[in-house]
Amino acid sequence: MKRRDQARFFGMPRDHFDWTLFLTASALAVVGVINLYSATSVSKAALSDIYIQQVYWLVLGGILGAIVAVIDYRHYERLGYVLYVVGIVLLLLVFILGKDIRGSSRWIQIGSFGFQPSEFMKLFMIIALAKYLHDDPKTDERALKDLLIPAALTAVPMVLILKQPDLGTALILSLIFATICLLTKIRWQSLVTLVVSGGIAAPLLWSYVLRDYQKQRVLVFLNPEANILGSGWHAHHARVAIGAGGWTGQGFMRGTQNQYLFLPDQHSDFPFAVFAEDWGFLGCCVLVALYAFLVLWAIRIAATAKDRFGAVLAIGVGSLIFWHAFFNLGMVTGILPVVGVTLPLFSAGGSSVLTIMIGIGLLMNVSMRRYYVSPGRTHGLLSNL
Amino acid sequence: MSNHLVPRSDVSEFRKRYRWIALSAFLAFGAVAVRLFQLQVVNGAEYAQTAHENVIRRVTMSTTRGIVRDAYGRILASSRPSFNVLIVPGRVMPSARPRKVSRSGSVLGRDPDSWPRIADTLRLNPDERTRLTARIKDGCVTDEDRSPCWRAILVREDLSRDIVAELKQHASEIPGVEVVSQPIRYYPYKHLASHTIGYTAEIDAETLAKFRPEGFQSANAEARQAMNPLGYDPGDVIGATGVERSWESYLRGQRGWEKRVVDARGRYRSGPEATRLLDSPSRQEPLSGRDLRLTLDIDLVQSIERAMRPHAAGSAVVVDVHTGRVLAMYSKPDFDPNDLSGGAGRDRIRESFNKLYTDSLRPMLDKTTSGAFQPGSTFKPFSALAALEDKIVDPMDRERCDGFLSFGRRIFHCSHVHGKVDMREAIAESCNVYFFKLAESVGMDRIAHIATEFGLGQKTGIGVNPESAGRIPTRGWYALRYKGQFRIGFTLNTSIGQGATTVTPLQLALAYGAMANGGTVFSPQLVRAVETADGSVVQDFAPRVKQKANVSPQHLARVNEALYAVVNDAKGTAYAVRDGALEVAGKTGTAQTGYVNTGGDDPKKAWYLARDHAWFAAYSPAKAPEIAVVVLVEHGGSGPTIAAPIAIQIIKEYHRLAASRQKPNARTSKERSTVPSEPPATRPAKPPLQAPAAGDRSLAPQEPVPLDPRTSPPQGGQEAPPSPSQLPQPAQENAP
Repeated sequence: MKRRDQARFFGMPRDHFDWTLFLTASALAVVGVINLYSATSVSKAALSDIYIQQVYWLVLGGILGAIVAVIDYRHYERLGYVLYVVGIVLLLLVFILGKDIRGSSRWIQIGSFGFQPSEFMKLFMIIALAKYLHDDPKTDERALKDLLIPAALTAVPMVLILKQPDLGTALILSLIFATICLLTKIRWQSLVTLVVSGGIAAPLLWSYVLRDYQKQRVLVFLNPEANILGSGWHAHHARVAIGAGGWTGQGFMRGTQNQYLFLPDQHSDFPFAVFAEDWGFLGCCVLVALYAFLVLWAIRIAATAKDRFGAVLAIGVGSLIFWHAFFNLGMVTGILPVVGVTLPLFSAGGSSVLTIMIGIGLLMNVSMRRYYVSPGRTHGLLSNL
Repeated sequence: MSNHLVPRSDVSEFRKRYRWIALSAFLAFGAVAVRLFQLQVVNGAEYAQTAHENVIRRVTMSTTRGIVRDAYGRILASSRPSFNVLIVPGRVMPSARPRKVSRSGSVLGRDPDSWPRIADTLRLNPDERTRLTARIKDGCVTDEDRSPCWRAILVREDLSRDIVAELKQHASEIPGVEVVSQPIRYYPYKHLASHTIGYTAEIDAETLAKFRPEGFQSANAEARQAMNPLGYDPGDVIGATGVERSWESYLRGQRGWEKRVVDARGRYRSGPEATRLLDSPSRQEPLSGRDLRLTLDIDLVQSIERAMRPHAAGSAVVVDVHTGRVLAMYSKPDFDPNDLSGGAGRDRIRESFNKLYTDSLRPMLDKTTSGAFQPGSTFKPFSALAALEDKIVDPMDRERCDGFLSFGRRIFHCSHVHGKVDMREAIAESCNVYFFKLAESVGMDRIAHIATEFGLGQKTGIGVNPESAGRIPTRGWYALRYKGQFRIGFTLNTSIGQGATTVTPLQLALAYGAMANGGTVFSPQLVRAVETADGSVVQDFAPRVKQKANVSPQHLARVNEALYAVVNDAKGTAYAVRDGALEVAGKTGTAQTGYVNTGGDDPKKAWYLARDHAWFAAYSPAKAPEIAVVVLVEHGGSGPTIAAPIAIQIIKEYHRLAASRQKPNARTSKERSTVPSEPPATRPAKPPLQAPAAGDRSLAPQEPVPLDPRTSPPQGGQEAPPSPSQLPQPAQENAP
């Protein structure tokens, strides 16, 4: 078969551009910016440029994502552990250069903007895990000791992030790890052991790791109406905002809970409450469906990936998006405790936007390269375009 | 084709998992969707309501408490503005707040403290200054939105106008200061009639809890209205005693309100977006309280106060014998309601209360109605009437008085040896022995019957302050009290108003009034009319007859003649103090208190307490009575020498005042032009409150509602239920 026929049949990577992924992500990003406009319209002075910044970050993220998507992901596989070490170094730098904001140092200041290494660490960790599993093909069931190294790969950044302290991000890391573990053929005894040890660890975690404010949040979750004016304020007003949306919402920029400042952190952790108040149950259904679709599509990308690295990478990024979305929606609607987890593409914040955009770039990368091409053309950085 | 395909790296390990992972993810989002359905669709309306309530605040508009005037339009109680100063800690002392760091790391600049300057302007003493500075610093440990750092605190109450002007002038340089004007009750006549008028106070927690029971905050507007018809909020002023308390529902008025849109920080928002949120009705105008016109003549009260000055404790009542209207009531010692009704500040009020409640002469007690005392000889006319009514004693029969009478082992004394006296002389000269002998044949129950006919031993129903019923004992009562051991001595004591017999000065005044008017016992009337702020009469109260004493006019005339003799016969007990220009009939009384120093009282106090109560009950003019007067000087000694001159003085003053009012324009400059000379019964009674905007149903006000939903508001003379919790208990009767 001639090369031209071959290209027509299997396609070059650029011919397999994943429009579905692109459009879904773009739709979320656009709705996210519009919602941020409503969320920040209340305080004209302090927050009014947040949605513009968000656009800048999305554009930058789009460019980075495109670059990430263009480079064959097998190069990331090669560099997997290097990237991981870079991420760890950045996390260590936080302790030296970190800026203290609200009692925790998560930021490194570069020029006029701060960036959060822990966000990017999520991607580095996914790549490292993918590389490890790629290099460690197994057909029989895995025992716990087979997961020891992936666990260590997760534990190191987790500990560093818990030290900052940033419970939300550490939680996401562990959940990504857990998801990837579930992807492997793990022995059921091992699974039971994991669950039991988790059960034992929880009380220890409660008494030794969690800070008072974090415990307070869990308590508030368990008894939401106990202290509406104090620690339950966030959760209560978020729920009122969502409920007030009703079927069709109060209308764009008309949600009173947001417009009259009852929603705190409306642009960072609670933009969904703003959306729900403005657009109601119908709008929420569309939004939740978009997230669900994005996650399911990532799983589909994993399922059609041509190799183990691509599959784990896609599942890793998919679980990153899933856990962020699920935890944020769960927290805002009150089915999960308040943990500072952002809503992908909805929450304002440079590091978070860049991470998600790069993650989507990685998904695109795996998706575009789900077919084999001739071995002769696999060398070189941009060889497959 | 296969030669083009490199075998895929082995992904078979993962293959079976995708479906489960996808399913889990789908279910997780499904759970979120279900939760959203629950929040937004199932409970959506509820949350929408909560969200609405979050941004709508009812701002209350204060109302003006009604003015209390005396019968001639002089203001006895009204409101004046007082200025209180509040500060917002975080604004007067920005340096107390935690340092703010910007993202770029620089410390944000803060405004300078205005607190030292404020403290200087307010002329705070060093103590107050340190205390408040500490409080500000404590409040501003955190400065988040709901921290006390942003909650205004009260610094000074009732500032002088100079300081207020100074604060206002420099308002822009001293941020964080707020001057709020608050009406304060003001009593121009101070001590005069303070018991009757009463005072106002901040509503106490117990009373407030009655109007705002648990669950009040969460109840809907209608239920709140039912629970708290007058709309009491914490910190509100409420009538505490006297007319201020009993007529609270009239005086209070109704607060208006206006809905405003607020944000989470309590700032008001305006503009079309905010206005859109206001649901109607968005405003209700306040209705000012009703004014009251009392029956009192404050000049007369003033003259009583003057006449009573030499004495430590006592009381006096003047009633109109033809209407039962109370023209003057005075109880000594008294108090200045201005000290208790705010203005002076909380500390000063507390101090005043402490002083008043620790005073053994009980200045807070209205002795005219709450104090029950043995009437002594002022009771004799009723004993005489009982004898006449039952035709047991011939008034012309003479009894011999040897200065004492012995019954078995006991000896009953008289004031001196009267010799042979008939009924008229017995009353005029106040011979006990005559009445002992009379009582022996008449019996206690007949005397009690007549006394009861004249309203003694029952509450008069004045409706102001806790009222004592007094006691008119019967054989039955003694039988209960002494377990069947009835002794004739009880009857003898009763006949001269001693023993267990007690009356209140008001009862006695009304009873003497009935004696003077031919036997009609009136319900005492204190409030003559309810008026609006512009002086038109809303409701006026006609005199109300309580009962008719069932006695024959001839017998009554006989007793009245004897009362005339008391003052006008040369041998009459009050002859020495009579005023030739005045036609007075009355009866003196010197009541033994039965005090025995058993408690080891201070001798000086014991001497005082052992002294007799001095009474004089009278009416005037004797031939065409207008007023009945009762004077009681507690532990004053002898009735004829102590109480009688005061009563004569009061009667004289009454006639002088009446004469000066007869002259045209004598007082009009001081009086209101609308003063009705006659009871304003001819005017059509208007509904209690008028709607400010007729036609707009939503603005139609509710009628004033009584304080306690179980009872109706006090109508002229009708008894209002006093709540005894706040008030001292009525005096205990001095049991023999």
